[in-house]
Amino acid sequence: MTTEPEIITLDVEATEPPADAGRWARAWDAFERLLVRLGDRLNPILVKETRQALKSQQFLFTFALLLLFAWGWSILGVAVAGPGVAWGSHGENMFFGYFVILAIPLLVVVPFSAFRSLAAEQESRTFELLSITAMSPRQIIAGKLGSALLQMSIYLSAVSPCLAFTYLLRGIDLLTILYFLFWVTVGSLACSALALFLATASLIRQIQILPTIGAVLGAAAAAWIGILLGGVFLFEEGGSANFHDREFWVINAAILTAVVAYFAMVCEAAVARLAFASDNRSTRLRIIMVAQFALFTGWMTVVWILEQGFPAVPFMFAIIAGLHWYAMGALMTGESPVLSQRVKRNLPQSFLGRMLSTWFYPGPGAGYGLALCGLVATMLLMLVAMVLDDWVGFSRAARFWGRMPPISTFVIFGILGISYVVAFLGVGLLLMRAIRRVAPVGLLLSVLLQVMLVAFGCGVPMVIEMSSSMAFRRGYSLLHVTNPIYTLVEMVNRPAPPTQTPALLVLVPGAALVVFLLNLPSLARELRNVRIAKPRRVAEEDAVLAALRHPQPGFVPQNPWDH
Amino acid sequence: MIELSGLRRHFGATRAVDDVSFGVAEGHVFGYIGPNGAGKTTSMRILATLDLPDDGDALIDGFSVVNDPDRVRLRLGFMPDFLVTYPNVNVREYLDFFARAYRLRGHVRARAVQRVMEFTGLDVLADKPTDALSKGMKQRLSLGRALVHDPAVLVLDEPAAGLDPRARIELREMIRALARRGKTILISSHILTELAEMCDTVGILEQGRLLAVGTVDEIQGKHHVTPRRGVAVEVLDGADRLAAWLTGRDGVAELEVEGNTVRFVHGGDRQDEAALLRVIVEAGFGVVSFTPRRQSLEDVFMKVTEGRVQ
Repeated sequence: MTTEPEIITLDVEATEPPADAGRWARAWDAFERLLVRLGDRLNPILVKETRQALKSQQFLFTFALLLLFAWGWSILGVAVAGPGVAWGSHGENMFFGYFVILAIPLLVVVPFSAFRSLAAEQESRTFELLSITAMSPRQIIAGKLGSALLQMSIYLSAVSPCLAFTYLLRGIDLLTILYFLFWVTVGSLACSALALFLATASLIRQIQILPTIGAVLGAAAAAWIGILLGGVFLFEEGGSANFHDREFWVINAAILTAVVAYFAMVCEAAVARLAFASDNRSTRLRIIMVAQFALFTGWMTVVWILEQGFPAVPFMFAIIAGLHWYAMGALMTGESPVLSQRVKRNLPQSFLGRMLSTWFYPGPGAGYGLALCGLVATMLLMLVAMVLDDWVGFSRAARFWGRMPPISTFVIFGILGISYVVAFLGVGLLLMRAIRRVAPVGLLLSVLLQVMLVAFGCGVPMVIEMSSSMAFRRGYSLLHVTNPIYTLVEMVNRPAPPTQTPALLVLVPGAALVVFLLNLPSLARELRNVRIAKPRRVAEEDAVLAALRHPQPGFVPQNPWDH
Repeated sequence: MIELSGLRRHFGATRAVDDVSFGVAEGHVFGYIGPNGAGKTTSMRILATLDLPDDGDALIDGFSVVNDPDRVRLRLGFMPDFLVTYPNVNVREYLDFFARAYRLRGHVRARAVQRVMEFTGLDVLADKPTDALSKGMKQRLSLGRALVHDPAVLVLDEPAAGLDPRARIELREMIRALARRGKTILISSHILTELAEMCDTVGILEQGRLLAVGTVDEIQGKHHVTPRRGVAVEVLDGADRLAAWLTGRDGVAELEVEGNTVRFVHGGDRQDEAALLRVIVEAGFGVVSFTPRRQSLEDVFMKVTEGRVQ
């Protein structure tokens, strides 16, 4: 999006070894220079934090404690097992002990250190000095994550001799050890990313204490859940016996995909929080949202195939899709409608480009559009899948058992679901626009407004119903038309759609259409944003930098007459 | 090199910066003066790309601080009015970190760090932890950090605040040396006498508004500050006699006697002062010292500002 500033660089001075130096000395010298060059390319934050960590008492204390516990557990374990350690099946218990010892620094200390590292930069105002250097917010977050990764690897290496020892015992295999190490590392990295995002929120003065509380509780919960899951897997669920099950690996791959997708989103959200106000903080997040949803769609397809067209899958998929795009829409509709000149310089130029990618550029209207497009596309995709299934007979078994609801039910469910999202997000957008005229507001208020709108939509009919004893006994009625949860559940839970369906199909889409039309002018205004030219000074510098990067080749004679 | 046009920054009802416009030519030193809360720091933070203006823009070497902050940052060194260091990091590591952050690599970085340490006199403290430095040394470190990528523009916010006289003089000499090297410097300070000695032009800010901008003489002219000079004459004895002798002479006013010293305001120029000294000596007074005092930046500042706060 932005032009990278020129890197000021000079090759490391070649200090040639003396002529009489041996082959090994020369090789060592070359290796050393290579290391210096590599060190030069490292993230500055990683270098600084490594230097700090090596001198910090907190790191030394944690490391010493880890070693102490690991050795203590080794001695205790061997002592308890006695001579039986050589032939008995003690590997599992020994390994679990080491896993607990490792999980605490990895899931508590490392993420909390990452949180404190960024929060302290903001509290002591060193972040201000950092933010005006040539480092991008992405490099800052990458540096902090790199530092967390380095700490993890040091803790892992400290426990690795103990893990190697358990491999020599009976009752545990290499795959189980690697499986645990993989997930605890992934978990630690994910928690660190989340901690960094929380640290960026500590800038908001009104909620300054909440991120700290969140980080402490989150780290403790992560360690507890990690240890619990490890224990259940090892002692209750058969441990390595699961490795022969195809479904086990499918579930693991699906979880890993989700972790990677949310990791990318959390990191990008942290980057956006640190970015300069005139930067484009939205496009990458929107791309991730779509990619995340494409991955989810893929996994739901796999589940549907594996489950041989189990009828709950499309509905489950539609509900999650609705929630996903509603939540993302609530965030996106909180963005400022004013595009900075910096963002406008990169807007798509062609008609096709504007049609396809305007939705990915910042702005509440574009966000509203993206959420609706994403949701409609999902519903259409599911509908196509169901029609194809009906045609090919993929889920014959399910239909035989009478579980497959007709396609019409899904269509009604889809129309109502989309309409609710259109209406709620649209009303939120209208309210945000009205509030923005009085005071500057952000994403947090947009999300709060949506929560309040849904609570209002669900709560008011309930209050009215509860105040009337007759109505209370009647169950679902048109009074609940503003309650999306009750209405959609009624659609799925009954063998046939409720009697109010025709009225619902008029009222809910009608209301959605009205809200959509009310938002249309602002949406059109955002679509009319066009690319602006770079300022002359920027264009001049870009030309100079381009000439430096790609120098024009000098005259090269092609034949004898060219001279 | 620095250009502010219609810069505004409001915090609720407080107009921290209100329609401020001025320019600083390449290689010039601009003194930014004003009482506390006048908006100096806010406008400097906007220049340093730490804050966004509500309206208007500022250009550094032709690049907007709003739309091209990444390009501005490579050209600008900012020394804030607060001192921050990292724990468990020594002076060399601190400067090396910021040099890396400015994408200096290889020997360019090593040379930049060494050059900055030598310039600021921190080379002897290279291995000392930054959090163990004295305030004066931390100020030097802060200046070194701002200089490590050799920026063309320096924005220094109260660099001499809280320093002892010796550290202040040393810092002033460093800033003068930087000015001689052609850096464009925007500096704010409460010590107006020092600013007057260093700056080519000054801007006087009050309640977010720029009241005056130009050289001290230009501001005197614009704001009708009478160009009068104070004179202090110390005699061996007979100060009262000298005061009586001076009373009624052309251009002499506001006579005061303090011990053996007679102070008065003289309306003439330097030649008139020389002539006055000659006639005093010829009249038989034993003159020990004759010290003319120019209209100072402080006088101009007091005349232009009204001491209002918001």
